[in-house]
Amino acid sequence: MSAAPTAYRPLNPRRILVLARHTFTQLVRMKVFYFLAVFAVVVIGANFLELPTDHLPENAGTEILYTVKNTSLGCMSIFSLVLAIVATGLLLPKDVEDRTLYTILAKPVPRLDYLIGKWLGVVALIFVSLMAMTLLMNLVLIPHTSKVMQLQISAAEFAGASAETKAKIAEDVRALGPTWNLQAAVLVTFMRAMVLAAVALLLSTFSTSTLFTAIVGFLILFIGFFQADAREIYFGKDSGLAGKAASGIMTVILPDLQVYNLIDAIVEGKFLKAFDLLKVIGITAFYCVTYLFASWLVFARKEF
Amino acid sequence: MEPAVEIQNLTKVFRPQMGGRPVKAVDQVSITIAPGEVYGLIGPNGSGKSTTMKALLGLVAPSSGTCRIFGADSLAVDSRQDVGFLPENPYFYKHLTGAETLAFYGKLCGLRGQSLKDRTTELLELVGLTEARDRHLGGYSKGMLQRIGLAQALIQEPRLAILDEPTAGVDPIGSRQIRDLILSLKERGITVFLCSHLLEQVQEVCDRVGIIFRGRMIREGRLDDLLAIEDQTEIILRDAPPDLLEEIAALVAARQGAELIRSGRPRTTLERLFLRETVERENP
Ligand SMILES: Nc1ncnc2c1ncn2[C@@H]1O[C@H](COP(=O)(O)OP(=O)(O)O)[C@@H](O)[C@H]1O
Ligand SMILES: [Mg+2]
Repeated sequence: MSAAPTAYRPLNPRRILVLARHTFTQLVRMKVFYFLAVFAVVVIGANFLELPTDHLPENAGTEILYTVKNTSLGCMSIFSLVLAIVATGLLLPKDVEDRTLYTILAKPVPRLDYLIGKWLGVVALIFVSLMAMTLLMNLVLIPHTSKVMQLQISAAEFAGASAETKAKIAEDVRALGPTWNLQAAVLVTFMRAMVLAAVALLLSTFSTSTLFTAIVGFLILFIGFFQADAREIYFGKDSGLAGKAASGIMTVILPDLQVYNLIDAIVEGKFLKAFDLLKVIGITAFYCVTYLFASWLVFARKEF
Repeated sequence: MEPAVEIQNLTKVFRPQMGGRPVKAVDQVSITIAPGEVYGLIGPNGSGKSTTMKALLGLVAPSSGTCRIFGADSLAVDSRQDVGFLPENPYFYKHLTGAETLAFYGKLCGLRGQSLKDRTTELLELVGLTEARDRHLGGYSKGMLQRIGLAQALIQEPRLAILDEPTAGVDPIGSRQIRDLILSLKERGITVFLCSHLLEQVQEVCDRVGIIFRGRMIREGRLDDLLAIEDQTEIILRDAPPDLLEEIAALVAARQGAELIRSGRPRTTLERLFLRETVERENP
């Protein structure tokens, strides 16, 4: 008589996927994607910066590579963090206000699935946008890298450098181009946005307005960047057990975003070690699970 | 048979977070609805109708008392497989079309593929929105939204439909359509629990009604029984000539204790009953 029995237990992947896909389309049709267009223009604009052609110093043209990478990753950071905080902060209050939440929770949908679905929807949107931006960044970076390469090699030839030196120069320039390392930096950017989206979700389970969620979200983001320094100052290296505990609690409640700073090092051309990447993945997973769980604790008791 | 709805001594107190005094929205309300019945809860605004329904759906937790749907506790997720809910003044996702809306809710209930498609088409047909299936809900009228809401509530073929003010804000034609829909649900054997402050509607569709006022259940019973005036008897005649009526009046007058109050069409309305039980009770 009634529909085929579904699994009523929480964490049903199909149901979560339905909610995530729905959230994704909802956000796309809310035109949040227009941020993307602005970004694309900025990056393409960087493309029109001219390469210096006369008076070739030692590392001619490499600044342009730094500029492209800096503007691209900077834009990605801003875009992903704003989207994570604002879009997530919009979703719950909107569902409550429009009473769509009633109709969803009146279906056999566990509240945990609803939360994870919303979060995944935002995360998917961030992922897709970052993918598009990465593509654009690489498209700009590839011709620039080969141009710089040409310039430097011909300068070296002019100075009568050996084949070895030329190989070394080529390698150095390549390291500044569209490397796997650089793609990993995007991944780290993405993971940081995942954490912030989870923070915003937690905030929106007890906040009464999107504005509050956004303001507190950005505050937490700001604190996150400086938290490790603050901990150092307050608790010092050799504080007692209480100091260590307080410092530990602080890292859980407020995410320590300094671990994500390796993005900057990568832009500088430093090599990202597999261990560091794994560490970031682990920390991201820890924060996401913690904040989603905390959101559920609040949301499960909530009345509408 | 297991009741479709069993609310026992439900009390709900809302405690404001920032001080203020607690609000007792529902006070010791018990309602039992048999399968197949159409039950109407009536009461003025703020009397606790929506809160009772939300408790039955597990959207608010009872302060005390229990709510069950076909024997399953309302706080458990599996109780919701058998119930469809149309909230008060619903707004659905404006970015979806009618068909997409039904598909979304269907998928949440575990429907998929061809059976979901068939069900969507069937329900759009039932609520008369086949033409509007590919239009965005942003462009729907209030009556259309209410009907897509009803279709959404029925997507997984629940045995119970809970409708909060299904005709509020809908024009007379729209509300007639909704009334007819409720009657067709009844024909299909679906239990309906609706609430309203539009009494005529309730009178037309409900088998049983409860009157709730300030969170308390004041009267409850079969509509026919509630509307009957206990110490009066109605004789309905067709084509009675005036002299027959005079004869009857004379007969009654001759009899001790009996009295002819009025001839014509003696009738109370649900509205009169409602006012007597609520506003007139307030200032005795
Ligand atoms: N979430 C809530 N928090 C505080 N008070 C509430 C809440 N929901 C309802 N109330 C109060 O409970 C009472 C009953 O409301 P409601 O059930 O919506 O009435 P009705 O549906 O009959 O108009 C009202 O006084 C209302 O202000
Ligand atoms: Mg109400």
